[in-house]
Amino acid sequence: MKTKNNAKDFGMFALPGLFCFLAVVIVPFVYGVYLTLTDWNGVSKVKNFIGFKNFAGVVRDGQFWTSLLLTFKYVIVVVVLVNVFAFAIAWLLTRGMKGQNFFRAGFFTPNLIGGIVLGYIWQFVFSRVFVSIGESTGWKLFEVSWLSDPTNAFIALVVVSVWQLSGYMILIYVAGFMGLSEDVLEAASIDGASGFVKLKSIIMPLMMSSVTICLFLTLSRAFMVYDVNLSLTAGAPYGTTEMAAMHVYEKAFTSRQFGVGQSEALILFIIVACISGLQVYFTKKQEVEA
Amino acid sequence: MRATFKAKVTAAGLILALMTTMLTGCRFGFASDPDDPNEEEEVIPIDTSVDTFEYDSSLEGTSITLLNSKAEIQVALGEMGAAFEEKSGVHVEVMPVTDGDSPYTKVVSLYNSGNPPTMSILDTTDVIALAEEKAADLTEEEWTNEAEEYLTEVNGKVYSFPLCIEGRGIIYNKAVIEEALGEAFEPESVTTLGEFEELLDKLVDAGIEKPVSVAKEDWSLGAHHLQYIYETYDGTSEGAQEVIEKIKKGNLDLASYDRLSEFLDMFDVLKKYNVAKGDPLGADYDEMAIDLADGKTAFWFNGNWAWPNLAEAGAENEDEYGFLPYFLNNDGEDFANQQIQGSPSKQVMIDGQIASEKEQAAAKEFLNWIVYSEIGQQMLVKTCNVIPPFTNNPYEPADPLSRDIYEKVQEGRAFNASAIVPNDHWAVLGAAMQKYLAERSDRKELTESIQEYWDEQE
Repeated sequence: MKTKNNAKDFGMFALPGLFCFLAVVIVPFVYGVYLTLTDWNGVSKVKNFIGFKNFAGVVRDGQFWTSLLLTFKYVIVVVVLVNVFAFAIAWLLTRGMKGQNFFRAGFFTPNLIGGIVLGYIWQFVFSRVFVSIGESTGWKLFEVSWLSDPTNAFIALVVVSVWQLSGYMILIYVAGFMGLSEDVLEAASIDGASGFVKLKSIIMPLMMSSVTICLFLTLSRAFMVYDVNLSLTAGAPYGTTEMAAMHVYEKAFTSRQFGVGQSEALILFIIVACISGLQVYFTKKQEVEA
Repeated sequence: MRATFKAKVTAAGLILALMTTMLTGCRFGFASDPDDPNEEEEVIPIDTSVDTFEYDSSLEGTSITLLNSKAEIQVALGEMGAAFEEKSGVHVEVMPVTDGDSPYTKVVSLYNSGNPPTMSILDTTDVIALAEEKAADLTEEEWTNEAEEYLTEVNGKVYSFPLCIEGRGIIYNKAVIEEALGEAFEPESVTTLGEFEELLDKLVDAGIEKPVSVAKEDWSLGAHHLQYIYETYDGTSEGAQEVIEKIKKGNLDLASYDRLSEFLDMFDVLKKYNVAKGDPLGADYDEMAIDLADGKTAFWFNGNWAWPNLAEAGAENEDEYGFLPYFLNNDGEDFANQQIQGSPSKQVMIDGQIASEKEQAAAKEFLNWIVYSEIGQQMLVKTCNVIPPFTNNPYEPADPLSRDIYEKVQEGRAFNASAIVPNDHWAVLGAAMQKYLAERSDRKELTESIQEYWDEQE
């Protein structure tokens, strides 16, 4: 009787979800893996099996490795900055300061604007507003558009990403801070723990679950960055800010090397999956119960 | 409780206000156009009283689709479709390729979903990529006789309908030059690179500090500038193909290829007088149109598609704008110094794979209607404002840039060569050109990048 009911429940509640998941995630994924082994160009009727030739193409595609390296640099900087910044702001915004709800909403707002729009807004800021500030003040820093110099364009990308991603992470950290038990902190104070010791030995371990999720989100989002990359720099100047995801798209659709692009996407997926998996595993181990 | 609710409402209101000002702020900032919202768009009347075109009544009630990748004629095509439907009974649905989507990607995804458009307006390279696999054979169509020079053949067959001619060169603003120099300016008087430089120097002396605009966009640098090295080989598409094959096979040493060094001589001149010389990669496209219309600059390297931008910047149909050739050297007899480049750019392909016989026939009728009916002829030129490649079309385009190309084509002062290059040519070599424009690479490095690019092609 019981098993019959279970099957019915499964059919009612899990099947539709499972079907959707299979149809839009698993099937395309497996099909995508299959495509990396063919010479399909996206158009032709026949797909010839060519083994690992596409992967050989990936190895030869120097630009892919350059963009992957750049993506790593970007991920490290963005993940660190976003989390430090969000953690600090969240801490400030849970101390009962005046207007903290307003500030929380304010910091969250950039997250509500789509990456494409955000990119265009900042493009305007970097190449017009900054330049006119530079013109009127004579500051060297703002003399030319940040987007026309490889280093500055990279910094610009980081600034915009941090600005966009922080809001969401602040929200998660705020929730984490609100969940901290006052008793533990008070006990620590009575035991004579100073601010830094409290942070290191009490707050951080208790906040680890928030850290896990925030690190995971920033890591995966930073690795997969495309929208801001496209609308802010589009790889400019001369292809120096082209991140991995954008390169994959360009390879598949602009260069029309569908198989190679698909293989690069697969490699990118494996890298991101491994790194985020390891990160979740290690930070989870740090989590404690209060 | 009440207080927090109030605070929340105020906060929400403030954020909303902030966001609105931010968004509208950027809207005004970007638009930067002196458009008067009260200004009424001038509608050019189409004379529909005469129509000798014979419609096939068996096609009435057919519905066909047209994928349009030429955004500026989206509305006009809709009007054309409506006019055609009124006469023929065939419904034409015009679908746009949304901004940021590549036409090729769009059409391929439509094919893969089993629902391709009956007709697609595509770039020549895309047509060649798709022709044999997907397109209907149009070799026997009557209009092929009217546009002989402008047909694109794939293995001896025609799969596409040339919709318009587009040309490019150095756009000049005659009024600005004449005002600065205080004398009449005859564009024909400039016939060599040396004379062009002289003119630029005179303009500098007359107070126009940096008289040239050079767009930093990779499509402009990689496709429109750089492709002169193939297209001026002998001024034909076949010649362009030949030189590309030679480069690919390594039979032509780029370092000693005269068209490349000549091209770079011209490019260096443009670079030297570039209005954005201080920060060439920070140049803003919209601003270039405004600069040229306002007289801050006198020249802009671009094509007739730049007219909407110029019009938005305040240029009028009556103003005198036109093209100078992309001067390559000091030989006045060289065709490259006398002629501007003009060739068919957008082509219509009919689906031959999924569309039914009737739909294909209706699509063919629509194309014939554009070429042969009095209404179609007028609408192609007046409503869409394009330069028709068909010799039987008696109408002339209205805007000065298109008119200039039209006249030059008629007078034989335009060469029809378009290099068929791989689809990522503009992106990859556009980046190399940007580097050169920003003076972060030299001729040697640029030449090597070009060679490397071609070496990688199969």
